[in-house]
Amino acid sequence: MNIIEVENLQKKFHGKEVLRDLSLTVGRGDIYGFLGPNGSGKTTTLRIMLGLLAKDGGRIMVMGQNVELQDPEIRKKVNMLPESHGFYSWMRSTEYLVYFGELYGRKLDKSMRQYLLELVGLDSEDTRSIRQYSRGMKQRLGIARTLINDPELVFLDEPTNGLDPKGRRDIHDLLKRLNKERSMTIVLSTHILDDVEHLCNRIGILSKGKMQYQGSLNEAEGVHAPLYRFYFEREVERKNLAAIPGVHVLSQDKGWVHCRLDKNSPDKAVAALVSRGLPISQVVRENQELEEIYLHYTGGAS
Amino acid sequence: MSVLATIAKKECREDVFTVRGMGLYLAAALVLSGFGLLLVGNTELSLLDNAQAVYMMAGIILALAGLIAVVRGSDGFAGERDRETLEAVLVTPVSGDGLAFGKLGAIIVSWVLLYLLAIPYIWAVGSSGQNLTSSLLYLFISGTALMIIFGSLMLSLSIKMKSFKGVMSAGLVLLLFAAVPVALGPSLRQSAVGRILDWLNPFAVSMNMLDAVIVDSQSAPGQQFLSLLVLSGYVVIAAWILWKSSRRIEL
Repeated sequence: MNIIEVENLQKKFHGKEVLRDLSLTVGRGDIYGFLGPNGSGKTTTLRIMLGLLAKDGGRIMVMGQNVELQDPEIRKKVNMLPESHGFYSWMRSTEYLVYFGELYGRKLDKSMRQYLLELVGLDSEDTRSIRQYSRGMKQRLGIARTLINDPELVFLDEPTNGLDPKGRRDIHDLLKRLNKERSMTIVLSTHILDDVEHLCNRIGILSKGKMQYQGSLNEAEGVHAPLYRFYFEREVERKNLAAIPGVHVLSQDKGWVHCRLDKNSPDKAVAALVSRGLPISQVVRENQELEEIYLHYTGGAS
Repeated sequence: MSVLATIAKKECREDVFTVRGMGLYLAAALVLSGFGLLLVGNTELSLLDNAQAVYMMAGIILALAGLIAVVRGSDGFAGERDRETLEAVLVTPVSGDGLAFGKLGAIIVSWVLLYLLAIPYIWAVGSSGQNLTSSLLYLFISGTALMIIFGSLMLSLSIKMKSFKGVMSAGLVLLLFAAVPVALGPSLRQSAVGRILDWLNPFAVSMNMLDAVIVDSQSAPGQQFLSLLVLSGYVVIAAWILWKSSRRIEL
């Protein structure tokens, strides 16, 4: 069952088209990685999905409701960590959580505040104001805020920005746990591919306002010509390999040859190599790296 | 605690805990001190009748109130947008009008603080004169009305316009425009055009009402019925504009 359905979404800013017939679906319980280069329209899409920006065309349903209605009942079940780092810097972290708790109609008692802060690795006894926090601490506090209403659906815009490697791993573990234990659906907008590889079961790759690919990571690998690494018993001339139909040599290092085989018939290409008497002693099929898939769909944009 | 009160409380606390908030009151205190000293210390101005001095001080207080309404109203949404704090608030289940009227509540509290700050200054320049109690009462009424009117208009602009500087500029122009009738000469103000301009402008209505109450001792509610009615009308219209514009708040 889909928790988010977006069809042919369109958005223009000052006459410039920033989203072009974008469609996507997010299933309940997914951790959906929304990938794309800077300026590709990820944040705009998230904001439209939350009703924070008006769309120029298309249809969006979140939890079966039209988001344009800004239904408070839906908002009670959804939360978002914005990419921006705006905080009421004069508040303390506990005050900040209490304030947002009240906006969600929840009174956060001391144990709840302590639980939320410790969940994201912050000290609940810290009496400093938020302005004295590092960027990573603010990011953690922002994540704690998104959990205040125990949401079913969370949008996280670049959640690991500003975190050190340990902090990043902590957040990965936390998000995995929330997804598993509370069946929380997470939409993760990022261009940090490591986050996606560690967390997401489905991805959508956006470029120039258009969805270029949507599906599982495994499917993404499948739609590409597979990469193989062959080991030959003796060194083979590159031109001999390049002459074989369906084989595209990428690199060669002594006996090892790294090549891409025709995606429609990799077996035939292997058979062709064998039939020409080339002394193959080892064949390794390589998993395609997400980075390569990402660069393929975004045309190498950063 | 209702969401409206939660928002108003947070806005008021922001007034106390931020340099931006306290700076406004400090500036207001400096202006009132300077003007108060002028009224009692300057050779010519000290010759003014007590009632006239109170009236002039009341005008300054209302101008400061208008300025605070412009600053706080502009900051309400456009300032939060600039500081990137609005997005997280807009995601919550709080309705747009709840958010807007909570912020308006905080603007009114700002006025109450300014009013309390101003009482000693009014006392200093007018304690030995007449109509001091009614002056304070009508100042409070007209100031509250002006804060609601300017606060609502500025919050509405702040919802629609994206830049804080843009909203502030528009607000200051609005405030200057509102002060124009007061600056007109007596003969022009007595003309038909002057009278129309007076009634079209809540600031001028307030000043005329204070003039009648403080200087002319016409403090009975019946004597100021028309002014109070017009001010109430402007309050209702401004609140309606705010309600309409806050039905849907975008980032």
